Amino acid sequence: MKPQRENTLVDLLDRMLNKGIILNADVIISVAGVPLVGITLKAALASIETMLDYGMMEAWDESTREWYKNDLANRNGRIPLMEGEAIFRSMFGFLWSSHGIIHEWRPGTWHLTNKRLFLWREEMLFEIALDRVGELKVMKETHLNMERNVLILEHMDGAERIYVSDLMGFKELIEDALVKNNRGIEVRNAQ
Amino acid sequence: MNESLGNLAIQEGRYLYAIINSGAEFCFGDIGVNDNKVYTISHEDIAAVVHSCKAEAYKTNDNDRAKEWILAHNYVIDYSSKQFGTVLPFAFDCIIRGSDETIKNWLIRNYEKLAKELEKVENKAEYSVQFFCDPEKLREMVTNSDLELKELKEKMDQSSKGAAYLIKRQFELKMKDAVSVELSMLANDLCSKIREHVDILKVDKNTSILDKYKGMKQIAAFSCLVHNDKIENLGEALDVINKLDGFAVRFTGPWAPFSFVEMKDE
Repeated sequence: MKPQRENTLVDLLDRMLNKGIILNADVIISVAGVPLVGITLKAALASIETMLDYGMMEAWDESTREWYKNDLANRNGRIPLMEGEAIFRSMFGFLWSSHGIIHEWRPGTWHLTNKRLFLWREEMLFEIALDRVGELKVMKETHLNMERNVLILEHMDGAERIYVSDLMGFKELIEDALVKNNRGIEVRNAQ
Repeated sequence: MNESLGNLAIQEGRYLYAIINSGAEFCFGDIGVNDNKVYTISHEDIAAVVHSCKAEAYKTNDNDRAKEWILAHNYVIDYSSKQFGTVLPFAFDCIIRGSDETIKNWLIRNYEKLAKELEKVENKAEYSVQFFCDPEKLREMVTNSDLELKELKEKMDQSSKGAAYLIKRQFELKMKDAVSVELSMLANDLCSKIREHVDILKVDKNTSILDKYKGMKQIAAFSCLVHNDKIENLGEALDVINKLDGFAVRFTGPWAPFSFVEMKDE
């Protein structure tokens, strides 16, 4: 597939009206974010429709924010952290949930800390202490003719299916945290 | 300074198109917005592409005129890229109050940041990728994989008219949720499929949708900064997705790196 350069007005406007170098406000005459010509044009182009699926956009927006500001969740203080608990990494993801007849992927933000791994979305959806985490395995599943990797997290009471976009990276992070956690225990034992 | 001269100096401005990776003094001819003469103002090995104008924003209610301006702005950026390699583009209607001297001082003040940004985008370009899915296909997939939906559907088929109506409402609510989750999972899937082929990936939240794709559901839109050597690989990865039943990909570029200039000037 080759990229097309059609120079449609829509494509040009998407870029030229709210992207590019941002100038300091005291030297600039029209603030780039609100170009007057742009507003008229956008209004005239009745055929333009931006993404309207807010349900999805909220989730996706969340993932973007997590992606770039991993410590956001930590800073806004809504996440109930235990004393001495620090978030290593947060990322948007899913947990397969299977209760009775309900089988679904539950979206949320996975937080990996020095003590736990948990999925949070306004409430605690799942949590497990690092010392209860057993083996981690990546399994391939076929979905829509596309292969999708799923992370299987084994623990004393069973296994969980986890999905994030950077699955390998997530697995390594958890393994890293497990090693650090074990080392912590060893140190305490030695004292 | 005499007061009227002072006012005159303030009313002068420079319309900015781009920052280029060359210290050449260059005149592009009358290709700018409103047919203005476009030229460069340089400092060391970088330069600003500008035209001289009054210190006030271009505004109009005439759509044809506005379109011409947008096309001219784009043309100058494309032309600069062709001549000097990847540039740092400005948004439409960025005007600095002052003279060539003011621009030169601005370049001096921001030299390090600009040089760093130019280095970041060297031999790279911006591409836009939009993924779409047929909504019927989406519903079908979700119904097949979600047991609760499947059961509701069966119940609906077996129920009397009145009961079926209530179940249908329940079904549609659940379907809405399931589709929204499926869409974000697909967005994640697709993102991981292209991530290795791009240098920087950004989720685009406000990408417009062309009429051609109106009947489809947009899964996600990305702006990608891609090195020239990697563009074929990205194209191949997108090809695979584009050929999937019920899916479509819109792939445009190369664009000047509008989504990737991140510096704040001083």
